[in-house]
Amino acid sequence: MIQFTHVFKRYPGGFDALRNVNLQIQAGEMVFITGHSGAGKSTLLKLITAIERPTRGDAVVNGKNLLRLPRRRIPYFRREIGVVFQDHKLLFDRTVFDNVALPLIVTGADPHDIPRRVRAALEMVGLLSKEKMYPITLSGGEQQRVGIARAVVNKPPLLLADEPTGNIDSKLSDEILDLFLDFHHHGVTVLIATHDGHLINRARQRVIELKQAELVSDSGAAA
Amino acid sequence: MIKNYFLRHAQVFFYTLGQLTRTPVATFLTVAVIGITLALPAGLYVAIENVQRLARGWEDNGQISLFLKQDVPGSSIEKLAEKIRRLPAVSWVDYVSRDAALAEFKRLSGFGEALNALDRNPLPALLVVHPAAAYSHPDKLQTLLKDLRRYNEVDLAQLDLDWVRRLHAMLELARQGVLILAAGLAVAVLLIVGNTIRLAVLNRRDEIEITKLIGGTNAFIRRPFLYAGTLQGLLGALLAWLLLALGLLLLSGPVDNLAGLYGSRFEAENLGFLATLTLIGSGGLLGWLGSRLAVGRHLRAIEPR
Ligand SMILES: Nc1ncnc2c1ncn2[C@@H]1O[C@H](COP(=O)(O)OP(=O)(O)OP(=O)(O)O)[C@@H](O)[C@H]1O
Ligand SMILES: [Mg+2]
Repeated sequence: MIQFTHVFKRYPGGFDALRNVNLQIQAGEMVFITGHSGAGKSTLLKLITAIERPTRGDAVVNGKNLLRLPRRRIPYFRREIGVVFQDHKLLFDRTVFDNVALPLIVTGADPHDIPRRVRAALEMVGLLSKEKMYPITLSGGEQQRVGIARAVVNKPPLLLADEPTGNIDSKLSDEILDLFLDFHHHGVTVLIATHDGHLINRARQRVIELKQAELVSDSGAAA
Repeated sequence: MIKNYFLRHAQVFFYTLGQLTRTPVATFLTVAVIGITLALPAGLYVAIENVQRLARGWEDNGQISLFLKQDVPGSSIEKLAEKIRRLPAVSWVDYVSRDAALAEFKRLSGFGEALNALDRNPLPALLVVHPAAAYSHPDKLQTLLKDLRRYNEVDLAQLDLDWVRRLHAMLELARQGVLILAAGLAVAVLLIVGNTIRLAVLNRRDEIEITKLIGGTNAFIRRPFLYAGTLQGLLGALLAWLLLALGLLLLSGPVDNLAGLYGSRFEAENLGFLATLTLIGSGGLLGWLGSRLAVGRHLRAIEPR
């Protein structure tokens, strides 16, 4: 699913955010990426979603080489990946329902299917009763779950999350972890960047550690 | 599939319409500026068309007026008329005697009482020469005019077509002017729409960024902006048409009066069907193009980070 060989990322300005990263993630795996702040976790996720391009090395995601992916193919490439953003990135002038429906509308899904699929995703994150509300009226944890519903509504084979439990209490973050575990059990490849040790311990999945732009440890695929 | 395609476009259309009505003042201002900008060349075009239509009525009586000297007796006039009538270039000749001229002048000018005060008729006798159709070319008319001037009895020979011709030349020039003006104002409309769309794009920066993140193509993101630009262009053109109609309505009274003075029943007409289509079409096209240019440039600048 994801294959990085000798991948480097240098930001304009000369800062090396990733150095010589080698990484293989099989379809259906669940992997945590951890490391101190500034280690390059978000950068790794940005490479995988083609927000940034690798400076050097071979990065293949979903069978596409990110260095050679033409600009106009990027939207189609991204449709295969669900992303949960740390800052949610919700549209505040649209209802919860409309926010979750956006990926379906963007991909031109059959309009008759949209309500059913949106409600299925909202049901999964336990927000079915709030579909008509605006994100601004929701708590941080609820907004995060709207973001998760939007990430999975298209049933992408690969799910990424950047600090999904960044600023919510431990009970809520446990619930969110359970959601991700659930997707993992349904065969979705899940990749979570976090420095929440509690979360990592509880999940008991493969952990990759970044340190100053380099991959320093990999616990290997979980049993 | 096809049905869904249209359904999606209809959705975008109504979504865009909703967005436009949510900011009524901004939308109205843009539409008003486009409307006034389009009304300018369209109004000039209407004016030229009407003057030209008016002039066409006069063109048919391409004729030469021979004003005779005061002292020529009636019998010589009859003889002269007969002579001219036999020229191959002439189709027929009307004789307006001095008395008849005076009577008509009294009738038309309304100066009847004043003229009664004159002790003698100041008007000359007039022969109106209608050229044969085969001789209606300007050069041949000029030759005929020169020939007619040579008669001793003739005081003044005047080709009435001259000023019509000059008018036509001037109208042609004005028409070119309108074209150039229209081209300049079309660029203005492009800039207006472009600027409006630029602001709309910047206002919805987050939405565009998020849409790109979840796999929206540029075409998908562009679509509502193109609809907005096209719609505003169309509405502007519609407004331009209404402005013209209003202008003509306001002018219809004075035009009626003026036409009445000339004994004509001329009525100013608005743009014809084709010209109206052209106006509306240009509005839509300029709106589309303006938004396409703006959105293409600004979309590239918004990449997710
Ligand atoms: N667009 C950018 N331009 C230049 N430098 C950048 C850019 N984005 C990130 N960096 C730098 O790259 C390094 C890695 O950043 P990254 O966001 O990947 O860290 P992180 O591991 O996600 O940290 P955190 O836990 O704080 O989110 C940082 O030092 C950051 O300053
Ligand atoms: Mg980060």
